[in-house]
Amino acid sequence: MASTQQQHLLLSPAELAYLHITLSQQPPIRADGRTATQFRPLTAETGILPGTNGSARVCFADGTEAVVGIKAEVERTRKQGIDYAKQRRPRNKQKQQQKKIAEEEVEVGDGESEDGDEEGAVHEPTGDSDWVKMTVEIPGLRDDDSGTVFLATMLSEALLADGEFAKKLWINRRFHWKLYLDIILISSPLSYPLPLLSLTTHLALLATRLPRLKSEADEDPMFDDDWAASQFIYPRQGDDNTSPSTSGTRPPITLLVMAVGDNIIFDPSKEELAVADSALAVSVGETTGDADGAVDVDEEGKASRNLRLLSVRTIDPPSRLTAPGIPNAVNAAAWGQGAVVAKDPGARAAETDEVEGVWKAPRGGAKIAVLGAMVAKVLEKGGVADEVLEGLYGVELG
Amino acid sequence: MADRRRVNGPVGPTAPPVYNTAAHKPIAKEKADNSIRKIFLKTGVTPSASGSAYLELEDPKANSPSSTSLKLTCTVHGPRALPRSAPFSPHIILSTHVKYAPFATKQRRGYLRDSSERDLGVHLETALRGAIIADRWPKSGVDIIVTIIEGDQDRNAPENKSDEGWDMMNVLSGCITVASAAIADAGIDCVDTVAGGVAALVARQPNSPPAIVLDPAVSEYHKVFAACCVAYLPTRDEITNIWFKGQLPGADSMLYNRMVERSLVACRNANRVVITALNETVRPGKESA
Repeated sequence: MASTQQQHLLLSPAELAYLHITLSQQPPIRADGRTATQFRPLTAETGILPGTNGSARVCFADGTEAVVGIKAEVERTRKQGIDYAKQRRPRNKQKQQQKKIAEEEVEVGDGESEDGDEEGAVHEPTGDSDWVKMTVEIPGLRDDDSGTVFLATMLSEALLADGEFAKKLWINRRFHWKLYLDIILISSPLSYPLPLLSLTTHLALLATRLPRLKSEADEDPMFDDDWAASQFIYPRQGDDNTSPSTSGTRPPITLLVMAVGDNIIFDPSKEELAVADSALAVSVGETTGDADGAVDVDEEGKASRNLRLLSVRTIDPPSRLTAPGIPNAVNAAAWGQGAVVAKDPGARAAETDEVEGVWKAPRGGAKIAVLGAMVAKVLEKGGVADEVLEGLYGVELG
Repeated sequence: MADRRRVNGPVGPTAPPVYNTAAHKPIAKEKADNSIRKIFLKTGVTPSASGSAYLELEDPKANSPSSTSLKLTCTVHGPRALPRSAPFSPHIILSTHVKYAPFATKQRRGYLRDSSERDLGVHLETALRGAIIADRWPKSGVDIIVTIIEGDQDRNAPENKSDEGWDMMNVLSGCITVASAAIADAGIDCVDTVAGGVAALVARQPNSPPAIVLDPAVSEYHKVFAACCVAYLPTRDEITNIWFKGQLPGADSMLYNRMVERSLVACRNANRVVITALNETVRPGKESA
């Protein structure tokens, strides 16, 4: 994070102090006139890359632009040893139960050895986090840079957190899809690129289609070569091929939230992040609840969108790396070197107390209540995450 | 004529047996849900570094020869002057490296840091940066290197059981605690000793209700739903790093808040260990008497 942010943040301590004061007002006054929960305007389109299974491009008004291409490959599921527990005869009830547990755990095991005594067992799709590979490329940064790796891990963590996504890639017990998500930031990042990358990935996943499977059970997979018959990974409500288990779920989005004092500010720009007391990346997913699933369908999933927390990470705010200001009282240039310094020269290096209007990099961590409030604000019904999902829902899938 | 002089291998191909269920049941001492595993922490183990610490976690199922499950060593080099070519920095430049030893986990790790190790490094950096008083060392840098000698994994677990990366949380909390002790050993000013703690939402048995436990030894549970690792400054009552992932039943943030609260308890426990270890270093022998 620090390294992604260090580039040319040319704000003087006085400017930082000014920004910090305006952002801690009630309500906060942001430099670009947005409200605390307002996002920067953006343009989005999907299906821009014909060679991919799904793609999207998002462009922020400040000129930062990201492109995501998703490609899928069929891969043989790694053979994970022969399952001796399944071949053993169950001796008593307890053993049988044990066997059941074992069976659940090793579903991905090779099919060939125990095809005979399966007696038509239905195989629940399983998933593995290895089936998704995400790379992030940011111009000017090495791809093994810690900041880039952190971004990629954060995005894939959100995607895989509930374990449902990898199951969508299951073909049969011997094969699965391997999904490559390649995220490219076209422009150099003017702010922390997390929201941009997350929204673009979300749209690309919504637009991702996989060919329809024609083969059955554990055969070598064969697919329908008609692209028009391909199926969305995330089927939209109202699609005829919607399977009940996956209907209504949407890819996760990751929002960047920061706090200045008690104010919680969404989608901070670079300058705002430079004075943040703390910053969080919160990933939320959308589900239709089990209990009120029927209600959701009736209302087109608008009013009763269920948000679910998937991951939370602290982002190291770049404000910790900013240069501090010097209050007039101890500044020799402002004739302020008082008696203290004259008495004890060593005290000059010692920290000065908080002086109103003099910038000082935040020290220590964030209050628990503030962090809790940030997460609660994201999860709020009808809140920002809701609004963003609603906005993204309106993007036409190409 | 058969070869009778040597012990020959079998004629046909064989596959090594891979057991689905561990050979033993984790019956051993039941760890209470609201306690953490015992921590061994010692500072000043590496003479060449300006500060160092070593941390070990006790394995509650003590039937392996060493009866430990996580071994970490941390060295702190610095604060030292930045090279002349480096741009001016008003603060100390913190760089953290977290590296698994190649033999630390079941799957061998390479010598180059992979993405999960880099990710841990960023988390650790965030956790420590809030604790260090960085503006007391302008134009200087410090390197914090954590080596994971033994990962927090059950070596008796069947090969084909994937761990889903939940042990990373425990490793991170260990890294934070050990790095905090090493930084204190190096004499770098901090606002407080930071300590890491983990709380997880787990199900013990396939049909048992989910419960929140502290410091989860991942292999003991049937399923881990969510986990939360927190770096905490106890005297300031502040959090420098929080890492939560997983799946929570229910939509509200109440359960999440409860998990954070519980992990703070784990942090306080770990912090007590750090304080004791540091006291031991300052006044050797006094603590035990």
